[in-house]
Amino acid sequence: MTTGQAIATMVGGFLFPFMIRLSWGKLVDDFGPIGGWMAAAFIVGTVWTINHGINNPMITQSENGAWIDMAVAAAVGVYVASIVRGGKVKPSMRNISAGLSGGVLAGLVLSFFL
Amino acid sequence: MKFFRAIIGYFIAGLLVMSIWNGLVDSYGIAGGYMAAIIIIGPMYYLNHYIGLIDIPEDHAFVDMAFGIGVAGIFRDIFMNGFEAFTSTIPTLSLVIIGAIIGGIAAGLIEENMEKEQDKKHAFKPADETPGPKYDGSESNLK
Repeated sequence: MTTGQAIATMVGGFLFPFMIRLSWGKLVDDFGPIGGWMAAAFIVGTVWTINHGINNPMITQSENGAWIDMAVAAAVGVYVASIVRGGKVKPSMRNISAGLSGGVLAGLVLSFFL
Repeated sequence: MKFFRAIIGYFIAGLLVMSIWNGLVDSYGIAGGYMAAIIIIGPMYYLNHYIGLIDIPEDHAFVDMAFGIGVAGIFRDIFMNGFEAFTSTIPTLSLVIIGAIIGGIAAGLIEENMEKEQDKKHAFKPADETPGPKYDGSESNLK
């Protein structure tokens, strides 16, 4: 990975949670549940295109490394943003451990058939 | 119960994204990516965060379903290619996390700033809340 690619990877990680945090909730407030689909298409779809979709994507994957999805950035960034706005860390540990268990389980099941 | 509800939520999100997405992209390219976003992220957001399969009270730090998706992607490859897959991906992982932390802090601060401006715009008080002199008419100035 070149220095340029490293910087781009970091900016890719910046972009996704930033857009989610500032516009997803407002879209749902304004359009109801359909706002969630708009966010899925216009935030996730579009940012996915630049981060993973195009031929030389913004997030450079490491050679022979496990896939780092931009979802990692979304999870970390949205979590940090909610802490900045006063979210409590300690009670969130229940969902952190649930997320770890669910994610590992999903990875295990996927490895059985993919 | 809420713990198991959350596990199922993160599990399904990770399962669907880390399999269907690649399939659609292989068939349709970037258009497939948009399709995947609409047919997976849309319903999964609806189930997990709109209906609330994953319970996140307002004052708790927000653990998005993306956490399940990210972990599923990493562990899928660890289970398929061994633990070296994780060690070799550490550079990408740490860069993405650093970027995400900066993005999260920036978004939080900007949101706070926007709300402050909004409050200023909407903050109006009656000019005077105390009754005027002789309001009760006991000592009228009117002559």
